Amino acid sequence: MNAPIIDPLQGDFPEVIEEYLEHGVIKCVAFNHRGSLLAAGCADGSCVIWDFETRGIAKVLRDNDCAAAITSVSWSKYGHRLLVSAADKSLTLWDVSTGDKIARTTLQQTPLHARLNPGLSSPSLCLACPLSSAPMIVDFEIGCTTLLPVCVPEMPDVLAPPQRSKCAESGPPFSPAAACFNKCGDLVYVGNAKGEILIVDYKSVRVLALVPVSGGSAVKNIVFSRDGKYLLTNSHDRIIRIYENLLPAKDVLRSLEDLGKNVDGVDGVEKMKTVGSKCLTLFREFQDLVTKMHWKAPCFSGDGEWVVGGSACKGEHKIYIWDRAGHLVKILEGPKEALIDLAWHPVHPVIVSVSLTGLVYIWAKDYTENWSAFAPDFKELEENEEYVEREDEFDLMPETGKVKVSSVNEDEEVDIETVEKDAFSDSDMSVEELRYLPAEPIPDTNEEQDELKLIEARISASPASEEAVQNGHVTDLVSSPQGEMGETRGKRKRKPSEKAMELQAEKAKASKASGRTVREKSRAVGDQEIDESVNGGGDDDDDAYY
Amino acid sequence: MAEEVPSASYIPYVHSQTLTSHAHALSSLKFSSDGRLLASASGDQTIRTYAINLKGDPIAEAAQVFTGHESGISDVAFSTDARFIASASDDKTVKLWDVESGSLIKTLQGHTNYVFCVNFNPQSNMIASGSFDETVRIWDVTTGKCLKVLPAHSDPVTAVDFNRDGSLIVSSSYDGLCRIWDSGTGHCVKTLMDDENPPVSFVRFSPNGKFILVGTLDNTLRLWNISSAKYIKTYTGHANSQYSVSSAFSVTNGKRIVSGSEDNCVYMWELNSRKLLQKLEGHTEPVMSVACHPTENLIASGSLDKSIRIWAQKK
Repeated sequence: MNAPIIDPLQGDFPEVIEEYLEHGVIKCVAFNHRGSLLAAGCADGSCVIWDFETRGIAKVLRDNDCAAAITSVSWSKYGHRLLVSAADKSLTLWDVSTGDKIARTTLQQTPLHARLNPGLSSPSLCLACPLSSAPMIVDFEIGCTTLLPVCVPEMPDVLAPPQRSKCAESGPPFSPAAACFNKCGDLVYVGNAKGEILIVDYKSVRVLALVPVSGGSAVKNIVFSRDGKYLLTNSHDRIIRIYENLLPAKDVLRSLEDLGKNVDGVDGVEKMKTVGSKCLTLFREFQDLVTKMHWKAPCFSGDGEWVVGGSACKGEHKIYIWDRAGHLVKILEGPKEALIDLAWHPVHPVIVSVSLTGLVYIWAKDYTENWSAFAPDFKELEENEEYVEREDEFDLMPETGKVKVSSVNEDEEVDIETVEKDAFSDSDMSVEELRYLPAEPIPDTNEEQDELKLIEARISASPASEEAVQNGHVTDLVSSPQGEMGETRGKRKRKPSEKAMELQAEKAKASKASGRTVREKSRAVGDQEIDESVNGGGDDDDDAYY
Repeated sequence: MAEEVPSASYIPYVHSQTLTSHAHALSSLKFSSDGRLLASASGDQTIRTYAINLKGDPIAEAAQVFTGHESGISDVAFSTDARFIASASDDKTVKLWDVESGSLIKTLQGHTNYVFCVNFNPQSNMIASGSFDETVRIWDVTTGKCLKVLPAHSDPVTAVDFNRDGSLIVSSSYDGLCRIWDSGTGHCVKTLMDDENPPVSFVRFSPNGKFILVGTLDNTLRLWNISSAKYIKTYTGHANSQYSVSSAFSVTNGKRIVSGSEDNCVYMWELNSRKLLQKLEGHTEPVMSVACHPTENLIASGSLDKSIRIWAQKK
């Protein structure tokens, strides 16, 4: 969007924690298509949607029937619908803009992952992966669930749709499998416990191709990159593998059928494998050779250039970032709270990670001030350069005066209206995307307005009298506005460093009065840093004793 | 330089209506993005809205009055869905009003001097305001909290505007600079300045966000190309050396630049040829603000003579 202006030389992955968001105990997160909204599922069964630009809460979806922890959230492609799966075996489909429940079903087992079909604009079809049975397609409109094959039976007749009982015989019992839709949503890629990737046409419930994963160990996660060109698998042998998708973007089913027809002489499983080898090729493998850790929530960056995997070994909060060529470029280390979920922003170099305590950490680039942006003729040098002056530098009348070159051709045609096609509209524009939820300003209450008038009067007053007055007056108004503001304003804090934040939190809660005055004072002065305001609060306490 | 060269196909604008509801000078005029409302801000501490009925006679009819500010108002802005209005006032606050009912919803406190300019972003979840305290503040519409304070300039900030996708903010100031900021992070992206820096009284983005129209207090309007950081068009002939006179792009009927002027007229130039197309006369004092209707060939102008004039194309 502003690509031409912003410096392209800055690396594209985050480095430090910028902020954290809090709303109950968060279990899982998902960005919408553009990254303007972040949906998160909580342990109490509600789902909160943050406006990622203002970092404020845009909506809370609460289902009174469901009080079980949310296991996954998934957006529809254009952001109109949200699919939520919960620990009470239910799947709920929400309409985001109205906040109403569209549909709800209960499955046999708790779904761990549920994903809406990315190919449809208003999907009512989703893929659910339960803990201990085969992944299934759930259709909300018709109200039926279809189990997907997790393994290819060793029989020539592969076209018969495998029923549940058949699978239980040929495959190991309780075989967990991971599955995902491909980019256009007409195929499902299933990674099973035997270490194979099956490409399944879910409409006819047929396995069309098979790709064995080297090592043969169970596949735990399977994820596509945003552009559909790369596929990532996370296996039980602690290796993340990247596959290149050889199938074309459109008309995938037909290409697969053609591939199947062209393979002569082989049948059954062998045919599947041959077709499979034409669909995916192994590109890279990532693993941590030193600690051999299990990876959690691996995924691609928005542009597919980076691969990120989280590690929760020994309760740590580490994020590993590789470039697609396989080099480990960065390890981000967070506070000592185990990592449970991870998401990369589709557009910006921002990562969002969820810790076991339910906090959502936002990782962003560490910004170094770009001074030449403030003064265009200011050149930043890497090191000191010795300046050699011209012969006539100190002459009273230098020979070569500054020649003002006004070579502006003002007659050129200027176009103020055409806009370039957005790089991120990789889809047809016929469906309008839901990018933002309309902001509903929370009205000031009368008490708040009175308080603000007091503050306003004090802005012009001297700082010394300010503190004394604040302690006296504001204590009365503390109780009710404090309560309201605590609820209406979603908690946001900046740059936490663990110990410091704990101390500040204690101080603010314990001494409500001074905490309150401190907040007003900081607002009046226009200072955002909580560090400074808490120290100011300390001074206020002293004044009160006189 | 300022010859009137009417081209054969040019249909001049004529005066259609005069509104004299304000008791003090007009400072700002804006049309809503659906073109159904016109808002005016004045030194009489009120904001007024008018319903625009293109087929009606008169075209503009008074709709609501918004009272509550304790000092004169310098700027007003509509949210994209025209449900809310934000106003910038000399009482150092920005106030958020409900358009339908005329009631005050929120007061945004934080600036330490007169707030001079205000604008919503296209998503209307953020408000940017510029003030005499030399900063630009970005506010969250839902909670009213100040999200960022940009150390924008070293002199009063005269104008702020968002580009069409809300990712950039441009700010101008009497210190002669125009700065472009990333609205998400608050970091300065670019500074546009020339060898001489006359105080900049007004700035706004072009509809596609690639150019900015800059009005300076040396009686000149310039169109700058942001990526090359050079100006590519100059418009002169009007008078602007004292006040913050606003200007606008008119794209409904050929691409034009419209601006107010201190010689009591509204000037209209053709964008590419820079020829002066028309001078709309009628006001008796400097014209402070002009607004162009988003879809129809309608111009509204507000002046120090306390009146708003509506100009339409002759049928």
